[in-house]
Amino acid sequence: MSEIDMAVIKPEMMKSYIWLQTSDGSIQQVEQEIAMFCPLICQEIITKGMGSSKNSAISLPQQVTPSTLSLILDYCRFHQVPGRSNKERKSHDEKFVRMGTNRLCELVSAADSLQLRPLVDLISRALARKIEGRTPEEIREIFHLPDDLTEEEKLEPLKNITDDPRIRLLNRLYAKKRKELKERERLKNVEIEEERVDERSVDDLLTFINGNDRDAKAVKTSKSKKKNRKKKDQQKNSSLKDNTALDKKELNGHDTGDQSSDGNIIGETSNLLYEEDGTFSPKIDFDDGDLDDDGIEPAIREKIDREVADFARRINSDWTERMQDFLTSGRERTSTFSATNGNGYLRRHA
Amino acid sequence: MRREQVQPACLSDFEPDRLSCLPGHVIDQILSHLPLREAVRTSVLSSKWRYKWATLPNLVFDNQCHSVASQDHSDIKNKLLRIIDHVLLLHAGAINKFKLSHRDLIGVTDIDRWSLHLTRRSVKEFVLEIWKGQRYKIPSCLFACQSLVHLELFNCWLKPPSTFQGFKNLKSLDLQHVTLAQDVFENLISSCPMLERLTLMNFDGFANLNIDAPNLQFFDIGGKFEDISFENTFQLSVVSIGLYLNFETNQNRLRGSSSNLLKFFVHLPHVRRLEVQSYFLKYLAIGAVPLKLPRPCIDLSYLSIRMNFNDSKEISTALCLLRSSPNLQELEVLARPDEQNVLIHPYCGEDEYCSCPIMQLRHVRIDGVSGTKPELDFISFLLLYSPVLERMTVKPVSSGVTELMKELLRFRRASGRAEIIYQESP
Repeated sequence: MSEIDMAVIKPEMMKSYIWLQTSDGSIQQVEQEIAMFCPLICQEIITKGMGSSKNSAISLPQQVTPSTLSLILDYCRFHQVPGRSNKERKSHDEKFVRMGTNRLCELVSAADSLQLRPLVDLISRALARKIEGRTPEEIREIFHLPDDLTEEEKLEPLKNITDDPRIRLLNRLYAKKRKELKERERLKNVEIEEERVDERSVDDLLTFINGNDRDAKAVKTSKSKKKNRKKKDQQKNSSLKDNTALDKKELNGHDTGDQSSDGNIIGETSNLLYEEDGTFSPKIDFDDGDLDDDGIEPAIREKIDREVADFARRINSDWTERMQDFLTSGRERTSTFSATNGNGYLRRHA
Repeated sequence: MRREQVQPACLSDFEPDRLSCLPGHVIDQILSHLPLREAVRTSVLSSKWRYKWATLPNLVFDNQCHSVASQDHSDIKNKLLRIIDHVLLLHAGAINKFKLSHRDLIGVTDIDRWSLHLTRRSVKEFVLEIWKGQRYKIPSCLFACQSLVHLELFNCWLKPPSTFQGFKNLKSLDLQHVTLAQDVFENLISSCPMLERLTLMNFDGFANLNIDAPNLQFFDIGGKFEDISFENTFQLSVVSIGLYLNFETNQNRLRGSSSNLLKFFVHLPHVRRLEVQSYFLKYLAIGAVPLKLPRPCIDLSYLSIRMNFNDSKEISTALCLLRSSPNLQELEVLARPDEQNVLIHPYCGEDEYCSCPIMQLRHVRIDGVSGTKPELDFISFLLLYSPVLERMTVKPVSSGVTELMKELLRFRRASGRAEIIYQESP
């Protein structure tokens, strides 16, 4: 019985095995002739005599995980058999690279670290095939690339490597958007000065509208009630502000978010509102006691912004007419404000 | 156990970006399998990919460089100029190969400027193909580029400056449809000591070829020349020569002149593969054809000759070669049709086949035969003296030549294993 066992076991024992240690520390036994297909392992065995026992296991580069090692060994096992035809090899290779991109990247990294050039070449071609003919969005999705080029970088016109009319159109749009961005920047700087003044005026205005006996805090509470509604408007507000800087004509070709014709006009008006800060501040004869000049918290400032937008929206298109008057009359506006209460104001322009 | 990995349908946004972290040379390899245009486009993928393409070692500008082909030529040309300028400027790192082969790039002197830039960037492989128009004069700066290892030119005119010292590192030279003067050619070959491969097709400006190249291994030439000789070419192992000029052999002038065949083989002791194309066999047949070469070509294993079966001198030359190649395994004989005006040596019948050697041929191919006596004699000789023949393929010049087939069936064969395949032309 034991002899028969020996007869069965013997051929197995004739094959020599070597020990390999992968990145996670685990050690496994691999047939020597298959492992020798990898130049790095071959080198380790021949020049350093490693791998013959568990203690002297060849420690593979850290890119080689157990799963990638098993794939690489499958590849080596197929190809180290000499009798295969080119057709067979090619067909095997085609099937071999049918896996997800992440696996492919892991595999090519591991194969490269083992200096297994044919496999690196095979996977490089497979990856190139996945890139070729795809749009950048598609490529980003396939390979999970972050879309992290800043607006500025993306807007650098593509060097006209292709003469796609779409690219040319895109460049034109990008140029417009760039201008827009610049304007936004410019306005932001301007607005930071203006905002404070605006807050004051609106706050006072509302105080006046709601009755002078109310203190600033109450005013603020009333504002907070309207918070929910205004939150939606916040984004609209900023975009509204921006568009006013541009020619209306340009807006037609633009995709800058939800735009309505009302929005345009309102935006325009609110901008004009802001521009008047110069004339506003010194002349307003309001009760400033409740307001802080400097140090208005940004959160509150935000709320106030929303207020402004809401207020502006409540005043409809007649406002443009009104603003014309403002522009011409200048200081007169202050008196106009003080002269009316909320209702009266509205009634006048109903 | 290997199992197919399938990406889960619900990919989370936190999948790692493994592609961008691959080592630079692997990414270069991936990008090099893409056409240049696609490779450069990867610069808009993400911040890491902005300049990954800029280390591409090989820059190939060909017809795929731009998308629309239906525009007018000057427009395409201008675009191409801009593209090449941009790419060359933005590229960082070493440029290994530069290839420019575009059908609309004619009469463009920007090539001079690019050549200078490439020379400064130590380009190793330079390929320039001018599809149409006049021969393009290669700028002198290119002749000073000592980093060149491979130079390939199509439709160019070479006139190096007097300061030209040769290409010290050039291993491979491929000149097709080129013009260069006789001395320029000789100087070029002799001043490139590392030259291993030489291809010359359809050249003009010189007619005498004297190849002095100690490291030359591969030689492929096709054109019109008067004389060819090798000097110091003991490494030459693959030779293909095509003489595209049918010259009159003036019997009086050439009587007693030395055999071209002998001259030719003096310096080719180690030739492994030899192709004698077009009229070159006729050239070799000039002079007194010996029965056997003084030194046998022991390395010759593949021979392809284009032969006029009706010219006895050519048959003698072929037989001389066969006698002198004891290890020849593959033979290809292509029939060259007779030309009316040219004088040839009439066929002497079977007297040609004296002292026939036993040959080690395994595969034979005969192409373009029509069943004439000289052809049949030749085939019969091959079959009788090739004991290890495995396959002979006979392709007639036109179909329906049943006489030939009948004869083929009749011929005695020395090899019991020989297959004779009669390949009908479609």
